[in-house]
Amino acid sequence: MDFHFNKLEKDDGSLDFHRFVIILNHSFSPRIRFVGELELEHAFVEGLEEGGELELEQAYVDFLLTRSFNVRAGMLLVPMGIINERHEPPVYQGVERPFVDTVIIPSTWFDAGAGIHGEIGRGLRYRAYAMAPLNALEFTADEGIREGRLKGSQANVRGVAFAGRTEYVGTPNLTLGASLWRGETGFAIRRFDTPVRVAEVDARYKLRRLETRGQFAHVSIGNAAALNDAIQRTVGISPNVASGLRGFYGEAAYRVWAAGVSKDLVAFLRYENFDTQHRMPAGFLPLKEFDRDALVMGVTYYPDPDVAVKADYIRQRNQSGVVKSPNSFNVGLGWWF
Amino acid sequence: MRFRNIGRTLLLGVALLASGASSQAPERRVIRVTAERFTFTPSRIVVNPGDTIEFRLTSDDTAHGFRISGTDVNVVIPKRGMPETSVTITAPAPGKYAFECTRMCGAGHNFMRGELIVREPRQGAPR
Repeated sequence: MDFHFNKLEKDDGSLDFHRFVIILNHSFSPRIRFVGELELEHAFVEGLEEGGELELEQAYVDFLLTRSFNVRAGMLLVPMGIINERHEPPVYQGVERPFVDTVIIPSTWFDAGAGIHGEIGRGLRYRAYAMAPLNALEFTADEGIREGRLKGSQANVRGVAFAGRTEYVGTPNLTLGASLWRGETGFAIRRFDTPVRVAEVDARYKLRRLETRGQFAHVSIGNAAALNDAIQRTVGISPNVASGLRGFYGEAAYRVWAAGVSKDLVAFLRYENFDTQHRMPAGFLPLKEFDRDALVMGVTYYPDPDVAVKADYIRQRNQSGVVKSPNSFNVGLGWWF
Repeated sequence: MRFRNIGRTLLLGVALLASGASSQAPERRVIRVTAERFTFTPSRIVVNPGDTIEFRLTSDDTAHGFRISGTDVNVVIPKRGMPETSVTITAPAPGKYAFECTRMCGAGHNFMRGELIVREPRQGAPR
């Protein structure tokens, strides 16, 4: 759960109770378990998401068979990147999640599906799911595939998507991950296919007080030109959807005060580069204001390992000579239990 | 000179093999396990039957549980910054024993599992 104060440059500040999350668990038996996560975003829900969103982000049953092979089905988090499956405020630095985990990887990304998971050998984990796809008609120039999430709500599964991730956790303090999502997203446009592929690699490493992490993500959208034409015929405006999106970031966080509970302070610096118009289909020009980078610097104070008080400053830039990306100052309080 | 080095290497190899065989004798082992949402490191622990195993358990974040099925081990691992938890057992009969977090620690709680493997004793190994 977290609430924020956000102050964009040349704009009034705002207070937002961003996320209120309820997690439900039940064990039918030691080998059959239910996990549920219900999230209320922006404090209240008004029709058509004007005020907020109530989302069923997880609701699945796990059939725990062996260490290396288990089955789950229901509403699943897409196993993609560092943040999507572990998205609570105490586990990432900064008041808001990284931009790359918002506009390139559309976290929180969840959908209905089923699949297998397990751990092999000394710390090689995997998840492999068949899931509902994205809806290409909702793709945009600035947020890429984000608005295309179907969120398990009467999702059209003419084409089933595949999502998989492998993660190596066998060496203390090191986590290496790679994820892939592939799916046909053009079910609403019958004339042509719109295959989408999201690929990602990430690493996290801790060395005493220093914690580092990095992530690279790439999205490719097939038949983007035809998709833009089809949407333009429907709504009158081309969304200028790219054929390639790309983002990466590197972060270093240092525990400047590490004297136990209530004496725990982290300073961090993160550089992000994210471009939702990285590759354009023939005949389309990129909108340069969506080729962005950001330098995020701030501190996180942990009065308890599950409570994070955060403050950061974001200097954001883009490649446009006309449209400026605003810098911002943010303060947040997040907790998890 | 070269043959002498090869000879030394062979002798060293034999000595190492011999010490491997004697490692089958029950011994006292300290195994440090770190818990973090939603992982135990290491998540696969291999011991010999009869070994006395002291688990020293710490967390990198919140409080977790640590239970080994088929044994009496069921303890709480305190939050980051708190003193470690220590629990000692004698390795049970050969087989695989799952261990898991028993304290709800988030939506990935079910991932938090590992395996204690107790080897079959080698033939001829001292008991």
